[in-house]
Amino acid sequence: MKISPSKKLLPSITRRSALKGGAAAVAATALGGFPTVWAQDIKDIEIHMLGSAVSHIKELELMAEEALGFQILQTVVDFATLGQRAATQPRSFDTVEPAYQQINAIWPTGNFQAVDTTKLAYWDQTIGLYKKEGKIWPDAWYGQGQHPTQVQYTSAIDSRDFVEPETQWLTMIPTNHNADTLGIRPDLIGRPITSWAEFINPEFEGRAALQNFPQIGLMDLAMAIEAQGMMTYGNKGNMTRDEIDTTIDFLIELKQKGHFRAFWGTFSESVNLMLSGEVVIQSMWSPAVTAVRSQGVPCIYSDLDEGYRSWGIGFLLSKFVEGKKLDAVYDFFDWYYSGPAGAFFARQGYYMPTPEQTRQYLPADEWDFWFEGKPAVNEIKDPFGNVMEKAGSVRDGGSWKNRMGRVAIWNSTMAENAYVIQRWNEFLTA
Amino acid sequence: MKGGEKIRRAPGFIPRTIFFWLFMLFLYGPIAVIAILSFQGPQGGLTFPMTGFSLHWFKDVIDPTYIGDFRWPFGRSVILAVIVMALTVLVSFLAGLAYRKGFVGGTVLFYLVITCLVAPSFLVSLGIGLGFANLEMQTQWWSGGLGAHLSWTVPIGVLIMLAVFARFDRSLEEAARDLGATEWQNLRNVVIPIMAPGMIAVGLFGFTLSYDEFPRTSLVTGTANTLPVEMVAVTGTAATPSLYAVGTMTTVFSLAVIIISFVAIYFVQARRAGRARSVQARYGKKPDVSD
Amino acid sequence: MNGSVAALTPILKRCSSALQVTPLSVVLLLFLVGPVIVILIFSFYIFNGFFMEPGFVTDNYEGIFTSFNTLEAYLATFKIAAITWAITLVFGFILSYYFVFDIIAFRWKIFLFLLSVVPFWTSGVVRMISWIPFLGKEGLLNRALQGIGVIDEPLEFLLFSEFAVIVSYVHMYTLFMVAPLFNVMAKIDRSLIEAARDSGASAIQIFFNIIVPLCKPGIAIGTIFVVALVMGDFVSIRVLSGGQAGTVLMSMRNQVDVLQYPFACASAVLLLIVLLMIVGGIMSVVDVRKQL
Repeated sequence: MKISPSKKLLPSITRRSALKGGAAAVAATALGGFPTVWAQDIKDIEIHMLGSAVSHIKELELMAEEALGFQILQTVVDFATLGQRAATQPRSFDTVEPAYQQINAIWPTGNFQAVDTTKLAYWDQTIGLYKKEGKIWPDAWYGQGQHPTQVQYTSAIDSRDFVEPETQWLTMIPTNHNADTLGIRPDLIGRPITSWAEFINPEFEGRAALQNFPQIGLMDLAMAIEAQGMMTYGNKGNMTRDEIDTTIDFLIELKQKGHFRAFWGTFSESVNLMLSGEVVIQSMWSPAVTAVRSQGVPCIYSDLDEGYRSWGIGFLLSKFVEGKKLDAVYDFFDWYYSGPAGAFFARQGYYMPTPEQTRQYLPADEWDFWFEGKPAVNEIKDPFGNVMEKAGSVRDGGSWKNRMGRVAIWNSTMAENAYVIQRWNEFLTA
Repeated sequence: MKGGEKIRRAPGFIPRTIFFWLFMLFLYGPIAVIAILSFQGPQGGLTFPMTGFSLHWFKDVIDPTYIGDFRWPFGRSVILAVIVMALTVLVSFLAGLAYRKGFVGGTVLFYLVITCLVAPSFLVSLGIGLGFANLEMQTQWWSGGLGAHLSWTVPIGVLIMLAVFARFDRSLEEAARDLGATEWQNLRNVVIPIMAPGMIAVGLFGFTLSYDEFPRTSLVTGTANTLPVEMVAVTGTAATPSLYAVGTMTTVFSLAVIIISFVAIYFVQARRAGRARSVQARYGKKPDVSD
Repeated sequence: MNGSVAALTPILKRCSSALQVTPLSVVLLLFLVGPVIVILIFSFYIFNGFFMEPGFVTDNYEGIFTSFNTLEAYLATFKIAAITWAITLVFGFILSYYFVFDIIAFRWKIFLFLLSVVPFWTSGVVRMISWIPFLGKEGLLNRALQGIGVIDEPLEFLLFSEFAVIVSYVHMYTLFMVAPLFNVMAKIDRSLIEAARDSGASAIQIFFNIIVPLCKPGIAIGTIFVVALVMGDFVSIRVLSGGQAGTVLMSMRNQVDVLQYPFACASAVLLLIVLLMIVGGIMSVVDVRKQL
């Protein structure tokens, strides 16, 4: 069962070798020459990484340790806890990997140091999404809400501000991104679903579920409301009070009609709802769709006309990391961007910011399936070697470009966030 | 202990017995579901139907490949629970001694104990977490986490101790004192042996409540997770029956703990009865040892 | 060694109570008073839309007291707490009566007690989740009911409802009612009951006129446990209500999740005050300490 395809494909870490040489040279001149000291030290370094289960996976930890030679300790928590620890306990981790919409609250706490792009070996290869152009392809949609570049850059290593791209300093180093949509049970619905409007279609009364995260849940609903033609938002990712009121009032109405079977708050809940058939259409995250499908239950991540709700995550660096450990963390970042991790995550359905590196570690047929949206030539396996798709199947949502080129909205923290939470709590008690 | 008496059942004995066993069924229902689902097939999920019958998820717990490495969190939780247990027994026993004699501020302290009991778990967790952060310190499971657990187990331990001390037959102590026993001898040879079952009860409570504690721990575990925190983290982003496998394994583990405690209580009880018999033989007074 | 201890005895005697109660005071000071002060301070901080800043404003409290939602959340919480309390009280009475009066042998008492404790060593998180496969549309219970022909369509109210939440609360918290009730019942002098019975009192009279009054302190402590546990839960309520219950803790949790600490701290202070008022009410009726 357990295989680790990428272990054989370990990269040569260019920067680390270089650094190692440089440091050894420094050490040699300073101490009168025992370059092995550095090599010895590196084994004792431990990097504490706090993150979500999206990316903090045991297998990856082992791959990184083998490639880099130092210890990596991953701790997994949910995104909310992650945000809290990031904001209040900066000593409990060296790196923390929140979502972009959490940065507004976390970065200004001053618990972090900016990431220096000049120390990143692969930064010039990083896709335009995170740079000035803000797009991967010229004809891509820019998307409403909080685009990653709005919180990507800062003015100095110890700043707490957000500035226009591009500067030398990153608030966080981008890692995975993907686009979310509605998950459906095609067998129980029996017709194609092509619009977000279906989410609030009375046909699915009592068989729909919305995610119980105020910020994102509200956006899913806004996508449906706009698609259905009830109202048009100025910016669904940054609503006015009136827009929030209308949306929440409608949500309360739906709740009282019993439109939603549940409001799920964890990944496993969404999987259970779908598996058991309690729900046939719901907000979903892509690995949840995979989890349902891997149990032999049909589930489709629908490609909807109005586009996708997209998200990204990235590493923040604690301000307490320094010296050799800091070098090690940068080594880790470079390894993360160098390809093996990208290939690993591609098989989970996510995209790393250095696709050209990923491509080097992903066999051509898998690249075509995951990135180009072409039918699978061979069986498609997940990172653990389990067969996910038979030959001939096509990834739902199609190519990378079809998804990330049609971002309707980014996961965001709205300016009226406090009001969103207040109204969301009212909806819960309604 | 009351062997010779003819048992006279109170009215309603049969319905109550039936209720008791129905309640047991209710208590064990979820445990049965957990046990069954932990043998879920490799492709199976957190709900029925079973896709097969395998030991796959037990293997996954022992040698994790995906997310959720339960081994270290389990170790931490057990260590923490043992420390909490020891401290709870010590703190509440000493408090019980003090309350027996009475002291200035006893009432105020008692109200604080009750406040501690009802203080919302979340408030305690948030308060400790933010407190540590403001002192520029990092809370860990063995510091802030330990405190959060004590804030829950100690009030309960104190209440149990007060209840147990309230039934303590003082004439035994007086007898010992009359015989010239020092304060220390009295404590060592009279009070502690009699209180031992109560202390074991406090210990059991302390261990259980700490081992299973989530809401108070959620914000103060620091760098590393305890078992419940790890479990909640895993449900947040994955959906594998390895959770159930952990549940089954911990049940088996607890059964072992229970059997050990049962044996311990039995021996203490036997010793106490023996001691009481010798006291009784000497003074012709019948100490209250029946249950 | 005993000699030197004996010499110290007079001094020890005088300050022994103080020494003995020091660990308790330290625990309470560090992990109750400390956190409460912290929460109190932060409840006056300024929320800038994303995070908190030091300051002293009463906005957070004003927000709570002017929001209609606060009242509704408290009503929803009280409702669930009251139902859970009533059920656990009845269950608690029957079970502890069974333990105390129906089971005679000490060993059986211990055995049955341990039998009811074992499930508590299976992680609470897992136990809580296991209600989903038990109560769900495709769950064991619905399957069983359909199997024996009681129902045709699966019952939907079983899961993702207040019903499911209360089932899980009763499951987790009944024992917290049983323990204190057991404690007070065990102290009741059996001859009192025998005497009442001999003089012709009915079982119901005995129960309401003798047993219940003598159990008051146990009821009080059990009530404190159950109410505090129900009002402090934020895990079961969210999962088993399908995210549809809006209790005080859920609101607080939603605020904390997006780092709105000042609001959450102010709500926490209010919740603590409400809980203390409830407890104060209980304690004014029953002097818990004297009658333990």
